[in-house]
Amino acid sequence: MNAIQVEHLRRVFKSTIGVLRRTTKQVVAVDDISFEVAAGELFGLLGPNGAGKTTTVKMLTTLLIPTSGTAHVLGEDVVHQAERLRARIGFIFGGERGLYWRLSGHDNLRYFSSLYHVDPAVAAKRIPYLLELVGLADRAKEKVDGYSRGMKQRLHIARTLLHDPEMLFLDEPTIGLDPVGARELRDVIRDLQAEKKTILLTTHYMFEADALCQRLAVINKGRIIALDTPAGLKRHVKDLAVVDVEVFGIPDENLARLRALPSVDTVSVEDVDQRQIVRVQTTEGSASLPAILSALSDLRLGKVNVREPSLEDAYVRLVGGEA
Amino acid sequence: MTTSTFRQDLRVVASTFEVTLKMIAVDSFVLFGILIQPLIISVLAIWMLTPKDPTQAIFVVIGSGMTGLWSTLLFVGGNSITRERWTGTLESLVAQPTPLAYIVFGKNLASVLQSLLSMVVSYALAALLFHLELRIVQPVPFAISLLLTVFSFVCFGLIIAPVFLLNPAVQQWQNAMEFPVYILAGFLFPIALLPGWTTPFSYLLAPYWAARALHATSNGSATAGELALCWGMMGLFGALYLVFSGLLLRVILRKARADATLGLE
Repeated sequence: MNAIQVEHLRRVFKSTIGVLRRTTKQVVAVDDISFEVAAGELFGLLGPNGAGKTTTVKMLTTLLIPTSGTAHVLGEDVVHQAERLRARIGFIFGGERGLYWRLSGHDNLRYFSSLYHVDPAVAAKRIPYLLELVGLADRAKEKVDGYSRGMKQRLHIARTLLHDPEMLFLDEPTIGLDPVGARELRDVIRDLQAEKKTILLTTHYMFEADALCQRLAVINKGRIIALDTPAGLKRHVKDLAVVDVEVFGIPDENLARLRALPSVDTVSVEDVDQRQIVRVQTTEGSASLPAILSALSDLRLGKVNVREPSLEDAYVRLVGGEA
Repeated sequence: MTTSTFRQDLRVVASTFEVTLKMIAVDSFVLFGILIQPLIISVLAIWMLTPKDPTQAIFVVIGSGMTGLWSTLLFVGGNSITRERWTGTLESLVAQPTPLAYIVFGKNLASVLQSLLSMVVSYALAALLFHLELRIVQPVPFAISLLLTVFSFVCFGLIIAPVFLLNPAVQQWQNAMEFPVYILAGFLFPIALLPGWTTPFSYLLAPYWAARALHATSNGSATAGELALCWGMMGLFGALYLVFSGLLLRVILRKARADATLGLE
């Protein structure tokens, strides 16, 4: 039996605007997605902001009722068997909220352990172990109010492991963490996976997905546009080469010129401090370099690099340069 | 429900009680509602009522204390779910296996018991500052009335909290709901002084029966029939609120899951 079985899941949000002339606006956040996750698998949902990742996780964790379609987690229906399922899963949503800031880290864990019906004797042993695991043992008696963002995030991880859930949902767990904190958290996730926990991880960090996930679903505008292993997804771009050009400000006209070139497949821009990296996926490799540089000739350019495509490039190609 | 599940749910009530006490002990708004506001009301009521009749002192002390009880229930108990929503913990609470009603019960129990301090403060003020003679004439019935008061107030809070979550527009009337209950429940003067048409509204409020029982047992006027009526009504209303709130919470949580209003994003 699969740990997760999702069939034709759809979620529409409605919002009403206006007082006298009320109009209802509908947004399709998740649009007819289907996938399954095997027991013990670390499965990734990858997509840009607003792609529908969090909405999907909220439906699978019983916090949101789907508009249509079905989803079973650990064999339980997420709508009709929600109460039974809740004792068996754990989740964290990225960010600092969701903890009691006026309580200490230890008191937060003690409280949540009672909510999850963890036997007090078991909790008394597990709480110090988890605080040690997430590196908060020294600060456990301090109020959460004084914790850094990374510490709060690690406390979330400890909270979600209190009742030893069979399945974990981690929604952008490293968002906003400093590089060291994010690396430590990834190590914790690896350890959990080694314990054969089934994990669904959402992220928009490509290297994170590549390093952790066994399979990935790329989701964009509510739809799954690719589902494969990281290596399989990279094969989507094996016929391409990537030209990275460093620029200092790039107008839309130059991007339009680049996109119009016959050898160019996808163009994306990443902001890095005061400069931008323009990533051009091309079918002709370094042979297309003169045409690309000519399209950017009126700009101040920095380094230029031609390289093999990565998972990130596969992702950019799949989401059409919107990443 | 098995014995083991019941014990686990009771543990949830106890730990929620403990956590809530810890949090409201450092909340200046709550401390104002429990300590300062009843103190102001006590002073005003003592000045108004006791010069003519010093035996009214205990009535003032009980009544002022009850204002603290009601204000705390209205603002702390009433906000017990919406506050979780503001702080982002509501999703964590909903996605765990204990029914939310147990958590709200534990929160209300903590705030109502803590607000009994209002009565202690009013008592201390009247006895120490105004040197008034304060005596509970029927102490045992008074203690039982106080227990039932706590129970009925806590259960009343179970209704208020989900209504505020369901309809934020109702919550905007929170301030306006404070004084009418002081008056309709007869905290500071008997409801016989009010127009006759308001009496049925008083009878529908558990706080009215609580005030009636506490006032009567403190001044010694409570007969067995009077006590049976007040205790019965508190028990009845408490049980009704309890049953109705369970249903209300289930409906509201289902609606919140359908409308995506558990979180604030």
